[in-house]
Amino acid sequence: MRYFYGIFLFSIVILLSGCVTEFIPETNEDQQMLVVEGLITDQPEAYTIKLSKSLPLGEPSSAIPLGNCYVTVTDDLGNVYNTQESVFGTYVTNPMLFRGVVGRKYSLHITTNGQNGKRLNYESFPVEMKPVPPIDSLYYEKRILKQNGNYPPDEGAQVFLNTHSADNSCRFYRWEFDETWEIRVPFTVPNSSCWININSSVINVKSTAAITASKVDRFPLNFISNETDRLKYKYSMQVKQYSLSEDEFAYWDKLRNISEQVGGLYDITPSSIPSNIMCIENPGEKILGYFSVSATSSKRVFIKNNFTGIIDLYSECIADTIWKPGPIPNLGIFVWVIIVHEMPIPAYRVTTFEKGCYDCTVRGTNQEPSYWRDDK
Amino acid sequence: MKIKILFLFTFLCIAGILPAQEKYQVSWDYRNQSFKEFVANAERLLKLKFFFREEWVSGMNLGNTGESNDLIDILNRLLAEKSLFYFIDEAGNVVITKSYSVKFENMGEVEKTTTFIPPTDYSSSSESRQTDGNTFIEVGNPSERNNPGSVAISGYITNKDTREPVPGVTVFVQKLSAGAISNAYGFYTLTLPRGIHLVKFSFIGMREKIINLNLNGPGEMNVEMNSVLIPLKETVVSAQRSITLQRFEVGAEKINIASFKLMPTALGEADIIKSILLLPGVQSVGEGSSGFNVRGGTADQNLILLNGAPLYNTSHLFGFFSAVNSDIIKDVTLFKGGIPGKYGGRISSVLDISTKDGNRKEFAGTAGISPITTHLMVEGPIIKDTLTYLLAGRTSYSNWIFRLIDDPALVKSRATFYDLNAKVTYDLDKNNRIDLSGYYSHDSFRFNSDTVYGYDNNNVVLRWRHFFTSRFLSVISVNNSFYKYDISSHSVGAEAFVMSHNINSTALKADFNWFKGRNEINFGTDLIRHDVMPGSYLPAGDSSLVIPDIIDDELAWEGGFYIDDKLTVTNYLSVNVGLRFSYYFNTGPGNVLVYNPEFSKSRSTVIDTLNYSNGGVTARYGGFEPRISLNFKLSDKSSLKINYNRTRQYLHLLSNSTSISPSDTWKLSDYHIKPQVGDQIALGFYRMFRRNSIETSAEVYYKAIGNMVDFKGGTRIAMDKNVEKDIANVKGKAYGIELVMKKTEGKIRYGIGYTYSRTFVRSTGTFSDEIINSGKWFPANFDKPNDLVLTFSYLFSRRISFSSDYTYSTGRPITYPVAVYDFSNKLLVHYSDRNKYRLPDYSRLDISLKVSGNLKSRRIAHPSWTFSVYNLLGRENAYSVYFKQEGQALKGYKLSVFGQAIPSVTFSFDF
Repeated sequence: MRYFYGIFLFSIVILLSGCVTEFIPETNEDQQMLVVEGLITDQPEAYTIKLSKSLPLGEPSSAIPLGNCYVTVTDDLGNVYNTQESVFGTYVTNPMLFRGVVGRKYSLHITTNGQNGKRLNYESFPVEMKPVPPIDSLYYEKRILKQNGNYPPDEGAQVFLNTHSADNSCRFYRWEFDETWEIRVPFTVPNSSCWININSSVINVKSTAAITASKVDRFPLNFISNETDRLKYKYSMQVKQYSLSEDEFAYWDKLRNISEQVGGLYDITPSSIPSNIMCIENPGEKILGYFSVSATSSKRVFIKNNFTGIIDLYSECIADTIWKPGPIPNLGIFVWVIIVHEMPIPAYRVTTFEKGCYDCTVRGTNQEPSYWRDDK
Repeated sequence: MKIKILFLFTFLCIAGILPAQEKYQVSWDYRNQSFKEFVANAERLLKLKFFFREEWVSGMNLGNTGESNDLIDILNRLLAEKSLFYFIDEAGNVVITKSYSVKFENMGEVEKTTTFIPPTDYSSSSESRQTDGNTFIEVGNPSERNNPGSVAISGYITNKDTREPVPGVTVFVQKLSAGAISNAYGFYTLTLPRGIHLVKFSFIGMREKIINLNLNGPGEMNVEMNSVLIPLKETVVSAQRSITLQRFEVGAEKINIASFKLMPTALGEADIIKSILLLPGVQSVGEGSSGFNVRGGTADQNLILLNGAPLYNTSHLFGFFSAVNSDIIKDVTLFKGGIPGKYGGRISSVLDISTKDGNRKEFAGTAGISPITTHLMVEGPIIKDTLTYLLAGRTSYSNWIFRLIDDPALVKSRATFYDLNAKVTYDLDKNNRIDLSGYYSHDSFRFNSDTVYGYDNNNVVLRWRHFFTSRFLSVISVNNSFYKYDISSHSVGAEAFVMSHNINSTALKADFNWFKGRNEINFGTDLIRHDVMPGSYLPAGDSSLVIPDIIDDELAWEGGFYIDDKLTVTNYLSVNVGLRFSYYFNTGPGNVLVYNPEFSKSRSTVIDTLNYSNGGVTARYGGFEPRISLNFKLSDKSSLKINYNRTRQYLHLLSNSTSISPSDTWKLSDYHIKPQVGDQIALGFYRMFRRNSIETSAEVYYKAIGNMVDFKGGTRIAMDKNVEKDIANVKGKAYGIELVMKKTEGKIRYGIGYTYSRTFVRSTGTFSDEIINSGKWFPANFDKPNDLVLTFSYLFSRRISFSSDYTYSTGRPITYPVAVYDFSNKLLVHYSDRNKYRLPDYSRLDISLKVSGNLKSRRIAHPSWTFSVYNLLGRENAYSVYFKQEGQALKGYKLSVFGQAIPSVTFSFDF
């Protein structure tokens, strides 16, 4: 019977673990496709158009910017707005000369540098700038994630957004947000308080086409868990609201679906997503990305509410005490001095081996953001 | 009917009766008496009992010529004129038969009268006498012997042990290469020239029976066959040999029940779907996927019937086991083409599975144990020969093993299923039989996550079979099929949910089967009510904040009428002409969104909402479905068949993943979604070699499918209230050639099947987001051009047999990621055109060895061991390729469902 038991076990393990091996498919596709990311808004600022090349699979990848191109934006009145290459591959408009106007249609034109052969011209379809309503409210609710008996529970926050378009001119919404939160190292050192700012890469889109009034109620924009220290001291989130055409909505919606995992046993069939840009010389060429045009409105929310159960990323920070004045021993090992006590004799220093425990700028900046006290 | 009947086949079952030969003297004046008056006198005065049918003797008069007082003389004179035969037994029963008589082969002991022939007890011919000529049967009135033309002989074939009708028996006259196959009720009909013929009855699992037939005129011959006791020997019988020449349909495949049980298994269970996949023209997307694809059709285009009721999910445990327990299968037929008119509602194929009736004589059963499952089947009579039952169950018991595994990755996985089958059969009388069968199955699994998938699959069938005459019968049935799934997650209390979907259909069917001369006419009607709950998403538990969401039920009625006629025109040509008319109504209550036809359907292009009250018809569809087959017999050894059929499908499976998955939902045709229409034309050539021991066939087909359902790229369809806006309509075309050579008898058996087939789809939409791959034809998910299946078995002895199969096919098409790019702070993957690339080729070799225990028939149980290795070469066949971001790199992975050789052992025994 022992033998059969072995077989039972063997079969089961194989059945459920399946077999996953690394695999890079061979494809004959042009892997160096043009990627366009452009956004024109109605704000008085420089608008950015980023050009890059796509990368083959399986290699450590960060974008390969495409520089030395000639990029212009035109409107339906025949005006041409030039751009300047601020950073390699990043083209910006001049805010003194160009500001987007609601109702106007804009097109993007790109002429490549012709590095690999001839110069190619690319053009987007004209995109109309739609008006965008203001964000009505941005608020959060505290969530209890786990009860811990007699200890305080694990808590998180869910951020919601309400908006509406009074004249129903905006039917499709997209939101981008950036997060800022304060961090503190557990020691009293010069750089003990810092601020981390990141742009979220989550795609948030919503269509109100199916309802009579274009009203978004309690849109769950972001969930903040206790697994980061975002909620420990103070957190802020700024949301930008864009108004999309149906076509652009469809683009983002598909992008959202596809950027979640595909390929498992029961996952959705992946597909390529068509861009709104085409190559004039070679209309069959695949172009990635999108040229977006939208009016924008924004709102900021602050969260400071004594959340419990938030992870302490500095719990491993152990201070070591060296009872000796003069140079630090064990030369060659990085040690950061937290504090130096000259008194009482003998003098001692408190040190730590992790730079992050000593210097919060490892994770963020020590410059307090200008808006940080706006909630007061 | 007021007549006294003793049916012929009961008569034949009376074993070992010796003819009675006493003299019966008629003492009364019988002149000008009607036959009935004469019988009344004889029963009263001579203590006889007569059995006959009233219509045979109506108008019969004894006349004026009363010179004899001997009953025998009188009956001889009277009955010979009417082609009637009679027989008197010792108990004084006088049995009159028409068009048919039987006699002992051992004629010496029988008295010399020539006008009647006593019955032969061939039904219990001892098992050792298997050679030809041991049973001799005379059919028809000898006086018609010299009449011109061929005559039809027909009858029922029953299993002697269980008294069940035996469908699929080959009735074959070698010399004439003429043959027939018994239908679902065990009825056969065969047209032969008058004279002496050697008629062979053969069927898998049955001892071959050869009858010496002396055919004088049209008549009936009912036959009982003995089942073979020892399962191992089942493989020896080769019933299909001549079937392919005889069937009307191109592409109808009868599954060899006995040999599929011998096939190598993945996890120790004989499996019907696995054996179907070895047939040419049948493919699957990959291991771990349920469903199968027939000649370029999607998996939902197969109608899978269990005792006549549809099964909406055909698999257990991610497709590794079929939904139907193989212990209870009596008969399986797959129609790849040439679908008879009685089947409707699906485009590609029909897989008709009927389960066994309970044993009529004694209690019996089978039990088995394999690494993951155990199964038990018991059957027997409640009232002997009248009321029987059959109960079968299977369960997997893998969960206790998971708990023993240390691997933290597997500790959270669970997979379990069970199924139950029950059937009760009741013979009300000779002409009426009622059976009630039920099927219930449940699956539940969790793939190392907190999401639990569960589904239930049930059906119930009540059937009443009624014989109007022996050549005209009806089957009326009511059935209900129910399928539902639940997907639930409790990992985050606030987000705990249960998502479910179900389909419930109830059908009423009436089928009639009528043999008339050279015609077999089938006609009938059916009506189905579908009730689909598209989806509900409900909170699970009190702490859940999930907002309940229930999509309203969809209701529809689907019905059809059909008539078809199988006509043997000449010995060289037979035709089957059929016509089915199907109709469909989608009914309210409900709302239908009307979209602006100038734009692609989306939420923003809704221009109107139509409200339908309860019973209001939201959409109606229907049409004719012609089905035509021609069968030309080119010679004794070869035949050519052509067929055309059209099919309509009103029910669609919405699947946005490559294979059937537990989260796919059924959708009824409605205002926006039109029924699918399939047209198939097929041509087949069949030829036997080496004294019919080698069978070869070549079939070509072309198929066009309209209104298929595909999806716009990157859409999600779960809990979608208006799924029409995500649908991209496509049409399909498929063509292929299937070549088969097989040897199915002898110690060494083999089969070679090669299929070249292509399946393409093309989007028919007009708007940019509905167009896939710029509107060009592109390969379907299951387009695998080259497909080779080799099977080989060697029977060492009656106790030990070895079998193996090898499968090779082109990898299935796949949409590959071809590049990564940075956009909107995300690293994104760019995919190629739909199905532009292919997975690596697939190949797999399986072997199995079956060893039976002692073959002594008196042993209480007959044990057997099956050792098998699945994927012996351990090839890592790719099921899927997926990509994950790891740090800054996007890495590709290949998922193989079975990456290694998988051994298994199954122990089973019959009792």
